[in-house]
Amino acid sequence: MGANSTPTNASTTLTSVGIDVGTTTTHVVVSELAVDTAGGTGTEKLTISDRTVRFRGPVHETPLIDPETVDTDAVAELIATDLATAGVSPDAIDTGAVIVTGETARTVNAEPLVHTLADESGNFVVATAGAALEAILAGQGSGAAAHAVDSQVTVANVDVGGGTTNTAIFDADGVVETRCLDVGGRLVAVADGRLTKLAEPARLLSEAHGLGLSVGDPVDPEQLSALTTAMASLVVDSLLGPPYHQLTVELSIGSLPTEPQPLDCIVFTGGVGRLVGESRDATAQTEPFAYNDLGPLLAAALAEAAADAGLSVRRLAEELRATVIGAGTYTTQLSGRTVFIDADLLPLRNLPVIATGSLAEVDDGQLTAPLSRGLSQATRRYDLHDVGGVVIAVDDVGDLSYDRLRAVADAFAAVLGDSNLNEIPVVVVTQQNCAKALGQLLHARCADRPLIVIDELAVETGAYLDIGEPITHGETVPVVVKTLVFGS
Amino acid sequence: MATNNSPDDHDAVLQRIADRNPSRLGVGRAGSRPKTRTLLEFRSDHGVARDAVQSHVSDELVESMGLFPIQTLVEDKDDYLARPDKGREISDETAALLRTECKQAPQVQVIVADGLSSTAIERNIPDLLPILTDGLDQRGLDVGTPIFVRYGRVDVMDAIGEELDAECCLILIGERPGLATAESLSAYMVYGPKRGTPTAKKTVISNIHAGGLPPVEAGAEIADLIAEMCAKQASGLDLTADDREFAK
Repeated sequence: MGANSTPTNASTTLTSVGIDVGTTTTHVVVSELAVDTAGGTGTEKLTISDRTVRFRGPVHETPLIDPETVDTDAVAELIATDLATAGVSPDAIDTGAVIVTGETARTVNAEPLVHTLADESGNFVVATAGAALEAILAGQGSGAAAHAVDSQVTVANVDVGGGTTNTAIFDADGVVETRCLDVGGRLVAVADGRLTKLAEPARLLSEAHGLGLSVGDPVDPEQLSALTTAMASLVVDSLLGPPYHQLTVELSIGSLPTEPQPLDCIVFTGGVGRLVGESRDATAQTEPFAYNDLGPLLAAALAEAAADAGLSVRRLAEELRATVIGAGTYTTQLSGRTVFIDADLLPLRNLPVIATGSLAEVDDGQLTAPLSRGLSQATRRYDLHDVGGVVIAVDDVGDLSYDRLRAVADAFAAVLGDSNLNEIPVVVVTQQNCAKALGQLLHARCADRPLIVIDELAVETGAYLDIGEPITHGETVPVVVKTLVFGS
Repeated sequence: MATNNSPDDHDAVLQRIADRNPSRLGVGRAGSRPKTRTLLEFRSDHGVARDAVQSHVSDELVESMGLFPIQTLVEDKDDYLARPDKGREISDETAALLRTECKQAPQVQVIVADGLSSTAIERNIPDLLPILTDGLDQRGLDVGTPIFVRYGRVDVMDAIGEELDAECCLILIGERPGLATAESLSAYMVYGPKRGTPTAKKTVISNIHAGGLPPVEAGAEIADLIAEMCAKQASGLDLTADDREFAK
């Protein structure tokens, strides 16, 4: 719990790795993150002030044993080779993230794969999965999120990959929402002039448009062009809606927003997305099946559909590697500077989050009810002994007075004392800057239980949290808020 | 399609910038002068700042917080503003009083002083002091009789600490008010207080108020820092010197 006494400008650099195992391709990037104070009077939050990509690995075809199974050993080998090329040993990697994306997240061994890779790739490399998270990381990695802030505009980053199209919309205040669809270039694969793969979403579209495609058919560029036109119109529909076309709803991943969102511009990223800006002339016409899939055709169709809808398309520097750069440079956040930490408990990984919502309107005497509801929700959803801990997130504890925090601590102590979770690490997360005070009050009430309190973080139920070992003299801990969504 | 970049939305963009900044941005003008509303707000904020300097910490607060009240050599507010040196020293009578009425040779001596903002004391001490006291107790530190100093400057802690033979001293003092806030408090700490201890030997946490570091969080933070100071028997730059580099 030692804190540095006076504000130091001594900056710390973290080496961060990003690994993206996608439907079609796998990439590795290595970045350096500079940790700094925002100002100089000592109580400011430490932030990641600079992100520099040091190494961009080559694009690998994701090795599969069969369409349902990723070749874990081959993936691990690719990553090891890339890290060796980068001249970075896993011991030197401080943080980062492995993300399985697109259809790969639905393979039978996606979950063990991502956890294994995370464990083997560095000290505090976390496992993540989920279309919405991927959408956000892609927008951060491409620079769309920064463009929204710099130009005070609303930007949709549309990441089109092999299996999915994940859109995140950003404005000057950050992420507005995500819109994700089962549309991608590798939903259909071709080889030797024949169709070799027709994934379920492609089959659905083929049927809806009377194209009658099936595996083994000879390749008919016109039919496939019609299929990609249908895909592109769904992507644009997902950006403009509601209202949404019935097929857009059927192919959506998670729910789609219920309000339309006016957009200033859109950015295409991902293996297919990067072709959008170049598609009109080149690949789509000369070599439509250069990648043995629909990529170039889909990109051409997207360019046309976006233009027809009057969407302004902008190109940014990072198109192909947007997601992996996002994973490598934007997943790690830092907690508030005054935290209550038992360093012996760290790192903690994959802890499920239960959010209690705001307690601001709850009277002192009634505080146990929402906390105990939260905790029983946690024990219903997860076997906490198995997952190794739980995060209880309190958005707003109310007035930051001594009496109020004491009442909150009393309620927490009562609820935790009643539960049979005495051995389970509990992480309390607040949005207000009060972790040290709340931690001290809680410690006085339940000194024997493993407890961590961190603040100035917003997390929601369903998210997962990883907390690394303290950095900068114990002033802050790296924290990753993430999703782990596998299957469909 | 409505966009943030259309001319109609410039107001919204300006508002967004102004909302993130405590400065008086985008307030307009009337000819070459500020608008009436701006001028009145400015005067009102200035008045709040002057009040913070000129007002006194109430006896009720001193009593309810269980503080032992003393005064520096300063006689009144004008004297306080004109003679910083007198705000750093106490009389022989006061020193004698400290020796009879207060705990001698404590590990931690806590002092509250009005400084340049009595408002800062009134607003922050009720939430800060109890959690600080809890925190020091939890760490098993031996805490002296908490003292309130009227007309105090930061370095009065050196004089008080020396008289009481305290191992380390903390002063919670009202900061010079600005036009954005008049209730900002600072905590200065020193290990081995002696008259004339240089500023480099002192540790500070500043900007303690509802809009900065919340006072309750500051209390817990200070308790942690004092525990570290006692463990390392150092304060100020001595506490951090080993990880700093200075240009020669």
